[in-house]
Amino acid sequence: MKILHCPLNGPRNIAEFTYGGEYHPQPSPDECDDRSWAEHVFFHDNPAGRVIEWWCHTASSYWFLAERDTGSDRVLRTFAVPKNAEFGVDE
Amino acid sequence: MPFALLKYGLGSDKPAKSHFSKSKPLKNHYDVVIIGAGGHGAAIAYYLARHHGITNVAILDKGYLGGGNTARNTAVIRSNYLSEESVNFYRESVKLFGGLSNELGYNIMMEDRGQLTLAQSDAAIRSFRWRAEINQRLGVRSEVIDRKEIRKLVPNLRMSEDARFPILAGLWHADGATARHDAVVWGYARGACNRGVELHQLTEVQSVEVADGAVQSVMTNRGRVGCGCVVQAVAGMSSVVANLAGFKLPIHTYPLQAMVTQPYKPVLTPLVSSPQLHVYVQQTSRGEFVLGGGADPYALYNTRATLEQKETMAAAIIELFPFLSQARVLRQWAGIVDMTPDYSPVMGVSPVKNYYLDAGWGTWGFKATPICGKSMAELVATGRVPQLIKSFELERFYRFEQVNEAGATAASH
Amino acid sequence: MKAVHRLPAPQGLFVNHEQSIEFKFEGCTVKGLAGDTIASALAANDQWLLSRSFKYHRPRGILTMAGQDANTLVQLPGDPNCLADRTPIEEGLEVSAQNYSGSLRNDRNSLIGLFARFLPVGFYYHAFFRPRGIWNWWSRYFRSKAGLGVIDQSISSQDYDKQYLFSDVVVIGGGPIGLQAALDASNSHENILLIDDQPMLGGSLNYSRAGKVAADDLLRRDQLVNEVGSRANITVMSNATANGWYADNWLSVISESRLFKLRANKVVLCSGLLEQHALFHNNDLPGIMMGTAAQRLIKLYGVRPGHRAVVLAGNDDAFGVALDLHDAGVEVAAIVDYREQESRDPRAVAAKDLGILIMNGHAVYSAIAADRHIAAVEVRKISGPGECFSGGTPIDCDLLCMSVGFMPAYQLACQAGASLQYDDDAASFSISGLPDGFELGTDTRTANFPWPIFAHPKGKEFVDFDEDLQIADIVNATRAGYENVQLVKRYSTCGMGPSQGRHSALPTARLVAKATGNTVAETGVTTARPPFAAETLGHCAGRSFYPAFKSNIHHRHVEAGAKMLQAGSWYRPAYYGDDAATSINQEVLQVRKSVGLIDVSTLGGIDLRGPDAAEFLNRIYTFAYAKQQPGTVRYALMTNEAGAVIDDGVVCRMEEQHFYVTATTSGIEAVYRAMLRWNAIWQLDVTLCNMTNAYAGVNVAGPGSRELLASLCEDIDLDKAAFPYLGVRRGRVAGIPALILRVGFVGELGYEIHVPQYCGEALWDALMEAGKHSGVRPVGIEAQRLLRLEKGHIIVGQDTDAMSNPMELQMQWAIARKKDFFVGARTLAVLERQPLQRVLVGFCMNNGAEPAKESHLVIDGDQIIGRVTSCAWSPSLEKVIGLAYVTPSLATPGSCITISTGGNRKVEAQVVSLPFYDADGLRQAL
Repeated sequence: MKILHCPLNGPRNIAEFTYGGEYHPQPSPDECDDRSWAEHVFFHDNPAGRVIEWWCHTASSYWFLAERDTGSDRVLRTFAVPKNAEFGVDE
Repeated sequence: MPFALLKYGLGSDKPAKSHFSKSKPLKNHYDVVIIGAGGHGAAIAYYLARHHGITNVAILDKGYLGGGNTARNTAVIRSNYLSEESVNFYRESVKLFGGLSNELGYNIMMEDRGQLTLAQSDAAIRSFRWRAEINQRLGVRSEVIDRKEIRKLVPNLRMSEDARFPILAGLWHADGATARHDAVVWGYARGACNRGVELHQLTEVQSVEVADGAVQSVMTNRGRVGCGCVVQAVAGMSSVVANLAGFKLPIHTYPLQAMVTQPYKPVLTPLVSSPQLHVYVQQTSRGEFVLGGGADPYALYNTRATLEQKETMAAAIIELFPFLSQARVLRQWAGIVDMTPDYSPVMGVSPVKNYYLDAGWGTWGFKATPICGKSMAELVATGRVPQLIKSFELERFYRFEQVNEAGATAASH
Repeated sequence: MKAVHRLPAPQGLFVNHEQSIEFKFEGCTVKGLAGDTIASALAANDQWLLSRSFKYHRPRGILTMAGQDANTLVQLPGDPNCLADRTPIEEGLEVSAQNYSGSLRNDRNSLIGLFARFLPVGFYYHAFFRPRGIWNWWSRYFRSKAGLGVIDQSISSQDYDKQYLFSDVVVIGGGPIGLQAALDASNSHENILLIDDQPMLGGSLNYSRAGKVAADDLLRRDQLVNEVGSRANITVMSNATANGWYADNWLSVISESRLFKLRANKVVLCSGLLEQHALFHNNDLPGIMMGTAAQRLIKLYGVRPGHRAVVLAGNDDAFGVALDLHDAGVEVAAIVDYREQESRDPRAVAAKDLGILIMNGHAVYSAIAADRHIAAVEVRKISGPGECFSGGTPIDCDLLCMSVGFMPAYQLACQAGASLQYDDDAASFSISGLPDGFELGTDTRTANFPWPIFAHPKGKEFVDFDEDLQIADIVNATRAGYENVQLVKRYSTCGMGPSQGRHSALPTARLVAKATGNTVAETGVTTARPPFAAETLGHCAGRSFYPAFKSNIHHRHVEAGAKMLQAGSWYRPAYYGDDAATSINQEVLQVRKSVGLIDVSTLGGIDLRGPDAAEFLNRIYTFAYAKQQPGTVRYALMTNEAGAVIDDGVVCRMEEQHFYVTATTSGIEAVYRAMLRWNAIWQLDVTLCNMTNAYAGVNVAGPGSRELLASLCEDIDLDKAAFPYLGVRRGRVAGIPALILRVGFVGELGYEIHVPQYCGEALWDALMEAGKHSGVRPVGIEAQRLLRLEKGHIIVGQDTDAMSNPMELQMQWAIARKKDFFVGARTLAVLERQPLQRVLVGFCMNNGAEPAKESHLVIDGDQIIGRVTSCAWSPSLEKVIGLAYVTPSLATPGSCITISTGGNRKVEAQVVSLPFYDADGLRQAL
């Protein structure tokens, strides 16, 4: 089966992981309109090509991001979720 | 001996003519361009011609006729869904399926086998009762049955109480059926082509030209085609094609795997599904066992099969039918399915004017082929969204009004 | 039967001439040798008829002698569709033929062949559907005729095992190329696994004839095999078939009853070639086989394949076949060579020197049968590709060997993503596009005669033996508009039988190419999918492995007579006793009036610590926790980003920066993972730990619970003032370190005790012992569900569905308005501006009414306006109570609703306010 390189645990069989869907940076809930919010919740780019997506190594409960080509299934890189990126709610 | 065959056998020139339009250059403009020559695309074209007299239609497909999910699906026809809008919708589809061979003059080989879904938990029984109640109210034959009745329907099902997940009850759907999936798309395509619709295979839409918020034309590998309107019916590629027209969809695309065994003498009549074990099975008229399961765990545009899924499906089916351990696997394959948040399709208008959507068909597309064709044809012809598909409009997500359908798919997510 | 065709040693590499084995075929005793396959033993005994074909029930026999066709499928006990040319014989084995009516020799179903002209390709699409619905009748008939072997429904799965393997290099195929590849790899790599599907290594060296001298092949074989044996880092797996290639060089290998899951750093595919057949009238008769099949019979099994043979040649290997036949004592009546030019190959020269007639530029035009076996061929001179002059020469023979071409065994390579290409000019194949780590050892350039296809006015020039498809079927499919080779395949079913295109793909591609005016290269062959060879579902399944979870207290429930039910992966006690209604009612009253014990070990539990713990919880749940006092408990409601309720539980604040949170049994895994994902984004200073399986838990519930607990609890003040409702305390119960919560789920004075999981049983025992004089009883899940229903509490997943939001559930009180943000808040803000579609309400039914069932619908005339989610007879209130979704207009207490209870039955109910029991909440706060 496919091997995925966990940033924490190294190369593991993909059955050890849980897929978390496409990564969407969350728009500021206060500033975006209802339609934009709905798009954030429900809509995806879903390309046949490169995406950034969530993965969890199930046994160690470790979440990380991967960049993968959804056509060839080639994983270009896996990486820890960056600190202080423009994510979700500001501190 | 059916007369048609007798005539054929005694005749000398066979076959009389091609079922589909001969390959020819694309015109500059069509009233309707349908992107995708699968079951849905062909059905839409058929009903446009048949019900609305609209024949200046081209069906474009980057591959061969029906070569996408129509060729790959496990051909379960049923209407025992959960939400009212879905039940009404699929019920009409099953009705149309019943008369489809005669409508098309092409045997789609529909067999009324009945479909049994197994409850292996209390929660499942509750959910089945919900479905049965709604189904019955809306004229669909569904009932919750007990172990004794299950034994009568499927005597060789393992009913042991010390199984890991004993069978507690079942949802029996007498309207459940199967048909030859390829024949459906061929029959519709032939019917459409006979009425003047043009089928263009190996014709890939590479870009969609939008101006003033309305679709103007599509660019293909064989030239530009002006369009009065466009319908996209490209299961497995919906987001990719919608992206050409400039908008996104609430879809994640996954492989859906299946496999088939060698042919054996018949031992199983109904279609049987276990949401608990994530497997469903039918024995085809050729004697082969077709097995399906849940969608793959991660998004991928690829029809490769995995060993894990084969192992899971095999282990699951042997829990239900231990003797199937003797059956030999012939082939594994996969389709590519568009999964939506509410396990319901996306049908109707899109953000682009005159650009219509037939997408989000997940694991429920084949059974909807006739009613989808009919409804979308009506929309294209009249410009009005038929009541039957109103609940499936893309706009529902903007209103946070999902269809309440989770829990009614065959292998359950 | 007599073993008239047995050749003496040294012929028969795989068999032991000294060891005789007896088995039965179709009831007759057959004598074979150890190492024989069923087919070779039968052949030795002059039994060539092995099966009847799928559609026309034509007699069939050995074709490839390598398991690469479906002509030899036979039935073994508990094992239908067995390849007779791959299955070894065993003493006493009972083998039957398949798919006949009457006998194998006289199959009544073969009469269908007379109607062949009325059954053209795709015939079933054009008939059998008028009048409407008639196909249901016809399909039952077709189904009874379809299928090959019979599955024995009395047999449960045999034991199949699985094993993981790892190897640096995996070489697939132990023929000359594979052996050399293994040796080469052995020089530079750590460990090599060489997989071969035959009993002995050597591959084609064991049966083929590369040169004039037969012994040369064996010499080379010995040399290679000995060298491989001498290398410490090469492991050999014989009788093993590599069936599938999966991502990242993950291979499935089947050997006997084991499925090996093999990870390789590098794969070298040396799986050799699949010999192809020629198309001519009656090319499917028993006695017509591949040249290599005849060679395998002779050299591997010591069986003479016939008395008088014709060899049909399209390449020079045919001459090797002729020489081998001659050496085995078969009279070679002629070599019919498609090619005009006389061959200069040394084997051809040797054949000529032996006086064998070689007819260049000729074709076998048809085969003539006698008694279900080939008796003669008609040979004609070729006038053009696929055409012959009229007037042929008959040649008597009981064996026809075809040596006209090979395809590489492309399947594993193509499964790995490579594509198979055909060069029309050179009539040869190539494979390209292999992934990294996957190499091809096999030489794909093969000697193919470009057009070994001769159509006949009477047809029966079989393209696909499995599906009984002839040339006209393929051509007519294209004429009907099914031009793409994939459409041809689906319309005609060509390549869809057990052989999966091994012999049909090439002629189909050639015929379709010609019919559509394309090259074979443009037309393409077919897609290869796993498995390569047939494998049983038993192999794929292995041994059943569905883990179940049992609480540490499980045995006590069973001992107390509990009826166990499955909740998710857990076994939980539903009730204790034989009669559900009686037991459940008693258990409910036990809790209301006295004291009961409920095993709540399955409950999810998460420990959160850190400066941002409160902030984290504020963002995850709808309620507010920033100001929650240590030592207190608050309700927790979780919504997803779409505003739907997905879980609930309680939040206990242990200290300023330490919380313990509970979640539902079935939701905890997803909840924990979701929490971690959110924090991967927020990166708040909080640590989470999933304690679910670390704790066992018992809910001691009922007015007598304080007294019971006090007798076991020395270091906690259980007075109401010291330990009020919605408090949490730490201490020891019966000496066991414990976390104790006072919550209101069942609505009585009660203490939810969480202890280390391995102490669960001891805690239970201590409580039962301490309470035995006050009549403490175990209480099951069904009673717990009833108790909470009496308090109007929801169960997530039962009273909520995928879309239920807090407003519908009348739980706006659980939404903290002052918070900036929580998951779901933004969506709830949108939803709150929309009118409610439905509301969850409590209802009562008139005395004497049969309770509605969960999921019965609430109706208004013809309309469905809601559904019941919980409903039961309440022993505490002595009436039927329940929860249901209704339209907002009917949500006011006092409204009347109608519930459909199945069929045409209806009952009336009244909407009431919640809770049903102890509206002021006094009893739980005692």
